[in-house]
Amino acid sequence: MADHPTASWQAMQNGNVFYRRQQLYSLNGKLPNLGDYIVAGCRYAGPLAIMRDNTKLIAVGRATPIFAKAQIQIYSPAGEGLLLFTWDQAKVIRFGWTGDERLVVVNEEGVYRLYDLQGDYTQFSLGSDAGEVGVIDARIHETGLVAMTGSLHLLEVKGWEGAKPLTLANPGLSEPPFVWTLIPPDFTISRHVEVLLSVESSILTVDNLESVDQRVSRGPFTHMAPSPNGKSLALLTFSGMLWVVSTDFQRNLAEFDTGKVVGAEGDVKQVEWCGNDAILVTWDGLALLVGPFGDTLQYFYAGSMFSITEPDGVRIIASDVCDFVQKVPVSTASVFRPGSTSPAAILYDAWENFSHRSPKADENIRSIRPDLVSAVDEIIDAAGQEWEPVWQRKLLNAANFGKAFLDLYNPTDFVNMGKTLKVLNAVRFYEIGIPITHSQYNYLSPTHLISRLTSRNLHLLALRVSSYLSLPPDNVLKHWATAKILKSKPVSGGAGKDADMTGDEEVSRSIVEKFEKLGGVGVSYAEIAKKAWEVGRTGLATMLLDHEPRASDQVPLLLAMKEDRIALQKAVDSGNTDLVYHVLLHLYNRLPLGSFFRLIEDGGSRLAPASRLLQVYAREQNPEMLRDFFYSDDRRVESAVLSLEEAGRMQDPASKVTSIKAAQKFFSEDKERAFEAKMMDEYSRLLNFQQQLEKESSDQITFFGLSVDETIRTCLLNGMVKKADKVKSDFKVPDKRFWYLKLHALTATRDFEGLELFSRSKRSPIGYEAFVRHLVEKGHLKEATAYVARCDAHKRVDLYVECGEWRMAGKECKDRNDKAKLEQLRKSCPNSLIARELDQIATSMK
Amino acid sequence: MAASTSPSDDQTRIQDVLDVSLLKEIARNSLVHSLNSVQVNGAKTLVLDPSLAGPLSLVIEVSLLQVRVIKCGGMKEPDSQEQQHGVDKMFWLEAGPLSAVTTNIVYLCRPRIKWVKIIADQIKRHSRESKSHTYTILLVPRVSTLVTRVLEEEGVLGDVTISAYNLQFIPIADDVISLENDNAFKEIWVDGDETSVYDSAQALHTLQKLFGLFPRIVGKGDCAARLTDLLAGQTAQSTNTGPDGSLALSEKFDSLIVLDRRVDMITPFLTQLTYEGLIDEVVGIKNSHVEVPVSLLNAPSNPNAPPSAASTSTAPAPALAKEKKRKHHLSSATDPIFSELRDLNFASVGKRLNKVARRLDEDYKARHKAESVAQLRDFVGKLGGLQSEHQALRLHTGLSEIIVPHTRTEIFNQSLEIQQNLLASYDVPGQITAIENLLAQGADMQLVIRLLCLASVTTGGIRSKSLENIKREILQTYGYNFLPLLLSLAAPPLAVLLPNPLSASTPAAVAELKYPFTSLRKSLRLLIEGSESLDELENDISYVYSGYAPISVRLVQCVAQKGGVISNPAGKEKAAEEDADGRKGKASAAAKVHAHPIVGFKGFEDVVGSIPGKTVDVTQQSSGLGGADAVASSAATLSSHREQTTITVVFFIGGCTYTEIAALRWAGRQNQGENG
Repeated sequence: MADHPTASWQAMQNGNVFYRRQQLYSLNGKLPNLGDYIVAGCRYAGPLAIMRDNTKLIAVGRATPIFAKAQIQIYSPAGEGLLLFTWDQAKVIRFGWTGDERLVVVNEEGVYRLYDLQGDYTQFSLGSDAGEVGVIDARIHETGLVAMTGSLHLLEVKGWEGAKPLTLANPGLSEPPFVWTLIPPDFTISRHVEVLLSVESSILTVDNLESVDQRVSRGPFTHMAPSPNGKSLALLTFSGMLWVVSTDFQRNLAEFDTGKVVGAEGDVKQVEWCGNDAILVTWDGLALLVGPFGDTLQYFYAGSMFSITEPDGVRIIASDVCDFVQKVPVSTASVFRPGSTSPAAILYDAWENFSHRSPKADENIRSIRPDLVSAVDEIIDAAGQEWEPVWQRKLLNAANFGKAFLDLYNPTDFVNMGKTLKVLNAVRFYEIGIPITHSQYNYLSPTHLISRLTSRNLHLLALRVSSYLSLPPDNVLKHWATAKILKSKPVSGGAGKDADMTGDEEVSRSIVEKFEKLGGVGVSYAEIAKKAWEVGRTGLATMLLDHEPRASDQVPLLLAMKEDRIALQKAVDSGNTDLVYHVLLHLYNRLPLGSFFRLIEDGGSRLAPASRLLQVYAREQNPEMLRDFFYSDDRRVESAVLSLEEAGRMQDPASKVTSIKAAQKFFSEDKERAFEAKMMDEYSRLLNFQQQLEKESSDQITFFGLSVDETIRTCLLNGMVKKADKVKSDFKVPDKRFWYLKLHALTATRDFEGLELFSRSKRSPIGYEAFVRHLVEKGHLKEATAYVARCDAHKRVDLYVECGEWRMAGKECKDRNDKAKLEQLRKSCPNSLIARELDQIATSMK
Repeated sequence: MAASTSPSDDQTRIQDVLDVSLLKEIARNSLVHSLNSVQVNGAKTLVLDPSLAGPLSLVIEVSLLQVRVIKCGGMKEPDSQEQQHGVDKMFWLEAGPLSAVTTNIVYLCRPRIKWVKIIADQIKRHSRESKSHTYTILLVPRVSTLVTRVLEEEGVLGDVTISAYNLQFIPIADDVISLENDNAFKEIWVDGDETSVYDSAQALHTLQKLFGLFPRIVGKGDCAARLTDLLAGQTAQSTNTGPDGSLALSEKFDSLIVLDRRVDMITPFLTQLTYEGLIDEVVGIKNSHVEVPVSLLNAPSNPNAPPSAASTSTAPAPALAKEKKRKHHLSSATDPIFSELRDLNFASVGKRLNKVARRLDEDYKARHKAESVAQLRDFVGKLGGLQSEHQALRLHTGLSEIIVPHTRTEIFNQSLEIQQNLLASYDVPGQITAIENLLAQGADMQLVIRLLCLASVTTGGIRSKSLENIKREILQTYGYNFLPLLLSLAAPPLAVLLPNPLSASTPAAVAELKYPFTSLRKSLRLLIEGSESLDELENDISYVYSGYAPISVRLVQCVAQKGGVISNPAGKEKAAEEDADGRKGKASAAAKVHAHPIVGFKGFEDVVGSIPGKTVDVTQQSSGLGGADAVASSAATLSSHREQTTITVVFFIGGCTYTEIAALRWAGRQNQGENG
């Protein structure tokens, strides 16, 4: 059975505060001697990266192979080797970890790479300036880095997407600082990164706006470490004085002379924080924990070691063990502190009594009845703080026992804690090697934990954890598929391309099957396909893309893969015209015009929408291209229409006529379009004639651009009767239309004599009713009356009425002996005068 | 163009009161959000695409937009003094320089190349004058690559921020929602630009997200098929990625009926004969606004004088034209008389106006009867309502006065006659000659071409000789530059102006598009023969065209009200006897037509199949259900909802006429009578 939790506790501050050292893993020489290496540890129970320190002598021997080149090794906290890669670039200046467990390596040429745990990297540059003057040092935090260039300027990179480096305020240094560090943006007041430089006896704080001398006189310093919450700063002077101040340098928090520590030999190796209130100072073989009031605890290790600050403690990695030192959490202390009389402790006691069948259990419970809820909560929390499953279980049982005495208790916390512990225990297993604490897990979120598992290629565990916590499996599946593609080399052997194809098909099928089975509906096939394409598996990429339902995701990749036809096809199928334009315009830029046209034309009816969209675009923006397009496709009619449209926009008469002639030529090339060709011919003749007319009228009257009818009307209105007749005969205007035109024109000019003459020139093809009606409409009632007599007999009565000639109407009735009509007239007549007249007529008819 | 008579081009009709104000709310909020998301502080100058002003005014008062913009700016920094003083200006987006004083300029426009070029021009001009502004372009309804490209070609892409304002369905009445896309018909069937189909699918999807999936989608026409596909794709995607998982089947909708405008080209060629339709024909309704003389809108000088009964004396139209015009929002929500009148055949409008006038008169007279103070107070309380009604009556009387002289003209009556004859296929050559006569008299080109296309569609083509002749006359009368128009009308996919017989080399596609009008006339009972009086005609949707039932609406009936298609006027006499109105009598209506579960075009497959274009019939399921029990479950849904009123959504791609809306309302009323 595991030791009682308090076995690892050590008291500080007269027994008020306890610190505990929990052994996480035993390493037993899995790691090389860290003293010879440069080490960078990843926070939140992350892995360890080490690189041989070239400044140190090393005994040549069997166990230590000689490397010509720098090598970086990555170990899990349990000492398992995760990755080893060779650095072939310029000298490494600094390496460190990002928040999502990627290793950042900065070299002296101003280049930095991000390695994931599989050894894939992306490379970015700090800019050409940094490249020229070189980088002498860098500090890396979770969401960015600050580099110090050869000219002692500071460059900041925000985020890990290759953002452009920003220059921080110039600290005006003449030599490199003794030591420097930074406070990440999340923990500063300004929310921008703050750099602290130890210069001479003072400290400079530098951010993107200014560089401030803090006027500290106790420097220079050898070590400088900000606390995890960014509020305090631990400084170590050359004389070995440890000094803790607030980061605004306003408050002195603690002082401690490390020179007087018994057993400390040699230089101080590291100054690291243990949580936010204690500091761990290490020498070879000794770690000294300095509490806030100068109390100390000593831990002895064999050989050199490395410590990593965690937000709730400090991880110490020595040659044989990996330990975690932390202040005993309040809840745990409350339960287990010797002599604790807190309700939680009593509840735990009660449960122990209960399991020993002792009646004291009941007594205990009764004594804490009012505080039972908080006791249960506290015990649940304490369970989360325990490393040993045995004790976790005991505490949970105790909580469960206490819960039974409560009528109404929300068990969510209890259930969640059980689930969480199961997950934590699984990932803490030495083969996985993520010794994450409960509070770190809460801080990072389960999704983050899952992504850490996938980045170690532990897909099965990740999938199980995510389904256990009912999280969507999408990210795991995506990572799995990508890994699968990378792992599955195109099948060698078999006959060349065929084998390749079957390999692709197999991979594609297995991916699709897995997705469908596990319901990874949110996974974008396009992203995976992109990965496949990047590693040169074009065939596989195409196959995977076929499963992508969102055309907007498919198309860009297809374009990148130069699958022009498929891209265009998919865009057309999606119905999203914008996407079609995207492809069209992209191809128009990339392909030679000829093959661009061919691509669209060869598509036939399936690509017809694309072709039409191209026309819409080109008509507005690029008529030249459209003309070429029609021409290359032998589309005479469209070419002609295009010419005609251009003509419509032209102001200059000569070029307008030219355009129309061009249109006519296009039409005439098509047998079917004889009519249109003829019309165009007429059009150009009309325009010519109109120009002539304008010249004759010495540019007083505008004719150009009018239609045939309007030309005739204008001629008539201006008294150019002969010309009107000429237009009529030239353009074969039918009599009917001509008569109407002339009628309207003559009425408009009030040339009633001319109208009379015209009406008698020959028998009207439109009848005379039209005359009457038009004249009435224009208000010439008197003139209209004259034409009524020439209309059809049966319409005359009504027409007279319209002219307002009631008497004539009546007379007409009399002539035709139509009594009924007369009666009707009498009823609808406007005044009694007329009524009387009509009556007279009626009587005369008898 | 000649084809579409409705200003709004994608319309959906909902046969029951659905909470469409929700859509308005969404549109308004997203506008505020879009303006807010413009990442700038301080006063903004808004430059508005004129074609958007109409639709926007249905969502938000454009004049209030200014205030709104200030408020939006204010919301970000409520304590900022500058913004409260910031004078915001609004300009129309038009060619020429833009003189803005504020640093921020926001363009709100549709993604048309024309607009983008103007914008680019203005930006370049500013940079030449070395004025610095921050430019933001808000595109409606979404960001387009095309715009980015054009801006790039013009070299100003770096100066602008582009984002989108997703304007979708706008409620234009409490049962009609529309995308208000004026050019949809031309874009789809002339240019072949199917953007609006895609946008429609997205808008319908939004509708589904709000109210649930349409249990069944029935459609006719190639674009309808395309729309259905797109919609299904959208639904599938959103069930995949949506945070809330699958969409449930709607409880309110029973189906969506999608119709291509191409499926029924005849109806828009006809003159609309309902009140609202005629207002559109004569005065023009744009985004449910109509331009009317100011005098009709202003409060009458003597509000207490009872208005004269609807006089039909011919007010001189030219005089009215000179008067200053003002836009008026026609809406049944604020105008009860309009909701009464809008769907009536114009012939009965006069009568109805008269009735309203009398009633109003009596109500006014009530004041004389008021003897006690309490009665007087009652009357004064009603006075406000009376006055607004009085005002409305004035407006509608005025509008009728504008319309009546128009309906008396020779040309109007001739065109009606031609339409009726063509529909009955009576003396076709004679009608062509009549059209030529109209042309010679200088009739409106739109009218002539509408008639000509009608002739072509109903008869399956006009004899080549006379077609060529009349085309020549059109070109000579209106100008040769209309040749492309004629060509577009003849070209597939439109093909509404064809010679008969087709020339040998015509592509097969054109022949396939030939419209089987004569057989449809019989099978869908399009034409109500005989000289029935108008009252009787009102027993069928054909009353809207005085005897012709729009094919589109008949197709809807094929899906949702099969009885209405087949039933002969047999039941009609009974109905007429029973009820003066002839249609609200429940007993007779139930005998005649009744709603039934939506089973697609069942029973009319042959008829529907004979119309060119694809037929669609999809049953949508909530993705939770497996494939096997799909049929059972959908049947179950249907039966379970039989008791309550369900809504059939009808969606027209490419616009619909006011008469069709009227006819659908009529059909809807009948179903409601049955469903309770």
